[in-house]
Amino acid sequence: MRDRRQLWVAASLAVSVLGQAPTKAWTPPKTPDGQPDLSGYWTNITLTPLQRPANLADKPFFTPAEAAAYEKETVERNNADRRDPGTDADVGKAYNDFWWDRGTKVVSTLRTSLIVDPPDGKVPALTQEALRRRTEGRGAAQGHAYDGPENRPLSERCILWATAGPPMMPSFYNNNYQIVQGPGYAIIVVEMIHDARVIPLDGSPHPPKDVRLWLGDPRGHWDGNTLVVETTNFTDKTGFQGSSKDMRLVERFTRTAPDTIMYQFTVDDPSSFAKPWTAEIPMHQTAGPLIEYACHEGNYAMSGVLSGARADEKKAAQGGK
Amino acid sequence: MRIKVAIAIAGAGLLLSAVPARAHHAFTAEFDAKKPLKLRGTITRVEWINPHSWIHIDVKNPDGTVTNWMVEGGSPNALLRRGVAKETLKAGMEVLVDGYQSKDGSNRANGRDITFADGRKLFVGSSGTEAPDERPEK
Repeated sequence: MRDRRQLWVAASLAVSVLGQAPTKAWTPPKTPDGQPDLSGYWTNITLTPLQRPANLADKPFFTPAEAAAYEKETVERNNADRRDPGTDADVGKAYNDFWWDRGTKVVSTLRTSLIVDPPDGKVPALTQEALRRRTEGRGAAQGHAYDGPENRPLSERCILWATAGPPMMPSFYNNNYQIVQGPGYAIIVVEMIHDARVIPLDGSPHPPKDVRLWLGDPRGHWDGNTLVVETTNFTDKTGFQGSSKDMRLVERFTRTAPDTIMYQFTVDDPSSFAKPWTAEIPMHQTAGPLIEYACHEGNYAMSGVLSGARADEKKAAQGGK
Repeated sequence: MRIKVAIAIAGAGLLLSAVPARAHHAFTAEFDAKKPLKLRGTITRVEWINPHSWIHIDVKNPDGTVTNWMVEGGSPNALLRRGVAKETLKAGMEVLVDGYQSKDGSNRANGRDITFADGRKLFVGSSGTEAPDERPEK
């Protein structure tokens, strides 16, 4: 593992120095119809954050020893019992990795953030328009967050998970994906919330702009051994780090080793971000099958959250806290 | 079995920004910080359902009656991958649950800690706080 990491670091540094991809000694296998084979079960589980922590500002890569220290500290912190008795925070605070599945390792590239561009590892500044959208959204929700199920977040309603994508980001559990390929299509099944992205590879265009889809409209093509997927036509009900419905997302899937797909995505949304930005997450082969996340069917929490709000209202009406 | 681990600062001097707990739903909307409780009882059944598991326990009251409580836990998908299976929590086991009662006053609680009869502790946690930066993006 460490050896592989060191190779990764060497290769990544070579890329940054030379500005070009290293020569690939390994060629991915082909599917029966001749596509580079990405099929199988993959996971993007990682401790590495999307954005580089402030204290690592000038450090794009860990050394293997630093990575090990970071992993140890993060796992310990995730498992710490952070009590704050008698407060609302306490109700939600004590949870640890035993009931999560957040992983124990940083990315195999040893990068300190998933964002690789801009070089500071940070999401570029939001535009005035994006800030206004955010303020307006919060204003509209003010005082109505618990009115009914439609007012609750999409994740709580089991409709979409913000990090399940696209773009596909690691989250607290269910960080698993299945890629299935056939002539003219690639399909990515996402365990979190149970989405399947059907990606046409036939060169067909996106639908007209007035067609808006929860997961956007993906269109793929091959660039050498890399599957490039461009997704547009998002809705205004979703957002990624402040993006709008006009986000143009370009994802690149390159199988760089038998057990690794390098997944990169670029967020291009001039109405939301000062400039496009790119993240990179190595996905590693994992054991299947995906487990069905039948979220809605068992979502007792929805009634619990709403009845909790009604109880609070009743108490307030009676003059109690 | 996991034990409590103090927050440690790594020797390499790598301080990290807090990793927020982000979960399926806002726990503090459902459960009441002012109603902490400890429930000692016997597991009657476990619902291994997504997005969160529910552990049902019979708790003997001081007057001799028995109340069935349901306790929210983590996602079965995550539990399975973390090595918790049906054998870990099954009917007949005696457990002590440390958690908070639901705001609506029903016999529901979140599971913060579960301690087995032999003293082993199974941390239970299933949601994040309600802090804005810990909420799922809409």
